[in-house]
Amino acid sequence: MQQLGPERPAMTFDEVSLERSKSFVQALQELKNLRPQLYSAADYCEKAYLHSEQKQMVLDHLKEYAVRALVNAVDHLGTVTYKLTEISEQQSSDISTVELKISCLSQQILTCQTFADKEGLRQQQLSSRTTPRHKKHYILPSPIHKRLENISNLPKDNRSSHVQSMPLPQSYGVLTPKTLSWHLASDNSPAPSKESWTSLLVEDSRDRNVTMNSLPPSEHGVPMSLSSHLQAAKGNGTSVKDEMEAKKSLSEFKSFDKSVRGEISQPPPRSKNIISALFPRNKNFKPKRVPVS
Amino acid sequence: MARAGGMTNAVNVGIAVQADWENREFISNISLNVRRLFDFLLQFEATTKSKLAALNEKLDILERKLEVLEVQVSSATTNPSVFT
Repeated sequence: MQQLGPERPAMTFDEVSLERSKSFVQALQELKNLRPQLYSAADYCEKAYLHSEQKQMVLDHLKEYAVRALVNAVDHLGTVTYKLTEISEQQSSDISTVELKISCLSQQILTCQTFADKEGLRQQQLSSRTTPRHKKHYILPSPIHKRLENISNLPKDNRSSHVQSMPLPQSYGVLTPKTLSWHLASDNSPAPSKESWTSLLVEDSRDRNVTMNSLPPSEHGVPMSLSSHLQAAKGNGTSVKDEMEAKKSLSEFKSFDKSVRGEISQPPPRSKNIISALFPRNKNFKPKRVPVS
Repeated sequence: MARAGGMTNAVNVGIAVQADWENREFISNISLNVRRLFDFLLQFEATTKSKLAALNEKLDILERKLEVLEVQVSSATTNPSVFT
């Protein structure tokens, strides 16, 4: 099929396959034509053996013809089987190539799908980064701005002020975030500098004075000691008070710094020290004694 | 004379028997070869059937894969904004 004659041009793959199929069909047709030929030859030999006088000669000729016919039939059958196996092998090779192409296409589509998925995830992450994910409780607040915001948001009713004034001794409005931020800052920085401590303390003291001064006056529930403290804090100079408090708190924190690195789970004593440093008790205060008759 | 005639008859019979045996041998050879050819044809039919069945199965699998690919490509073409 692929023999190139001097006059025959080169054949393509389809032409070669077509030629192979044509030769197979031709060989099969020739094999089918052998049957009537053998039948006719057998009838002729039978009549000749019966009607002739030289039966031995007819018999010898018949033997030779039978052998040749058998060889011819085997030859034709071999040709047909060879061509059929060649065609089946070609078809199997074609199917394998098609299978490879389909696998390539499937891999390409899979890569496109993975690319689309990754792009979708990236876009989703980008969109999620723009929106805040964490609660405000876990975000380090800017102390001054947030306290000012809290102060501006406070209502002017007595009840609300009463309710907010009650928990002051414990939390002092912004003490817990302050301690949380203070803890986080202390954890993040293994060796906090003195300047950072002083800045924190100065800010803390100034903020507290601001909060204390800006709070509305309360009538119920506030203990007399706290009100007296507030009045004492108001009466004294804020600038001088700030410096003294900062120095006292700094001295306290210097000694406390060493224990912070080992033990973090001791926030209440610090707050008490800070509170005691920032708000010293008025020694001249004496509780009123109501005479009982 | 009679004995010479009998001997020729015996010889003829012997020759005839020998020829008959040769013919029978020839016929047996031919029949044997025809049977071998028949066995070859049966074996060839079995192998060809198995090969064709394997090819058919491969073609079915490829057809299903192509259908899946067509569906995936159609879904991709319906949403071209994903790939832009």
